[in-house]
Amino acid sequence: MSKELNLWLDKLLNDIENVKVERKSSRRIRIDVESDALPALLELLQGHASYVHLSAISCVDWVDAGEFELVYHVWSYETRSLVSAHTRIPREPGIYLSIYDLYEPAGFFERDIHEMFGVYFEGSPDMEKFILTEWNGPPPMRKEFDSEAFVNQTFEFEDYRPQWLQDIEEEGGGITTRPEDVR
Amino acid sequence: MSKDDLILRKERQLQVELGQQRSNPLAHVFDNLVNFCRSRSLFMLHYCTGCGAIELPPAMTSRFDMERLGIQPMVTPRQADILLITGYVSIKTLKRIILTYEQMPAPKYVIGICSCTVNGGMYWQSYATAKVLKHYLPVDVYIAGCMPRPEAVIEGLQDLMEDIKSGRANSWKKYFHNYDYYLGNQQQLFGEDWQTPTDIIAEARHYDLLTEQTLGEHTALLEKHQKPLEALEMRLQGQKQPL
Repeated sequence: MSKELNLWLDKLLNDIENVKVERKSSRRIRIDVESDALPALLELLQGHASYVHLSAISCVDWVDAGEFELVYHVWSYETRSLVSAHTRIPREPGIYLSIYDLYEPAGFFERDIHEMFGVYFEGSPDMEKFILTEWNGPPPMRKEFDSEAFVNQTFEFEDYRPQWLQDIEEEGGGITTRPEDVR
Repeated sequence: MSKDDLILRKERQLQVELGQQRSNPLAHVFDNLVNFCRSRSLFMLHYCTGCGAIELPPAMTSRFDMERLGIQPMVTPRQADILLITGYVSIKTLKRIILTYEQMPAPKYVIGICSCTVNGGMYWQSYATAKVLKHYLPVDVYIAGCMPRPEAVIEGLQDLMEDIKSGRANSWKKYFHNYDYYLGNQQQLFGEDWQTPTDIIAEARHYDLLTEQTLGEHTALLEKHQKPLEALEMRLQGQKQPL
């Protein structure tokens, strides 16, 4: 049954113009689509091809290309397959349409992406702070945010060779087994 | 009489001469008894951060059995003696840890388990974790490892018990003695208007633990921002459309 459905689905998807469809395996389909056509594609998949479960929305920051890649993972219980719809939006201004009206869980994922990458979703019900309530800096998952530099600037670390250890070493003592000896 | 006892006796003699201890050998019997009892009935707060908590169930249950040492879990901070920090401390969690710590009745002890509490551990590059726990709270015992086995946890707890028995585990007094330092580090992370429901300065005054380091520029900042505490209003979250 599901095999037949998959065949139909492949045929239908290949008929849509300006969409690159790639079947990775029997249960995974990758679709590359322009950003203005993505909501329509998802509506089609949900309404006519039983992809009713939005598993996740993920975001990739392609800083050199100046783009964000948004990946919408939708699952169908009928064909038992996962469609990953990839789309790219420009990094500036980083505004995109919400799909909250199609999939309600999208509100949760969009709020998360807004917090981590700073992508604003128009029409999403809540774009306030979510997990990083204590964070006032730039969106931390953006590639231009240098976490290591931030940490070195903000925090103080313990000294690995404090004075008391150096004193012991001067008297001929010290650490007998170094980590690199046992590795 | 063994050699250790002789050394101990000599040390005590020296302390008596210096005026640090009283000459009557029975003067501290009651204190010693209290310390002994205290070290044998430790209630450990059931509050875990990060991944090290996974080593606690085997340490608590029948295989390694912490309860034979008199250590058992307790559900509320107001009835607990030990605060175990088991793993990385995110800045968001650190707030809760400080609130929890300040609620606990003295004497209270903090144990930092895992490398993350010592120096950031494998999350040292993360923007979201606090690196050195003892900058924000006084820590009694550190148990390093990623993560330490239950044997190591129990070993550390036994060290703490030994410290309590001999009266060395006084780190909770440090929090009152050096409150300005700890508050300064907390303010650096949480902003200048950081305030906890517990008035540490008033407590330090009340228990006669106020020193020169208790008050300083950071506590002055706190007093400038401090708002009187009010009972929290109960309401359902937000008037917005539900998700």
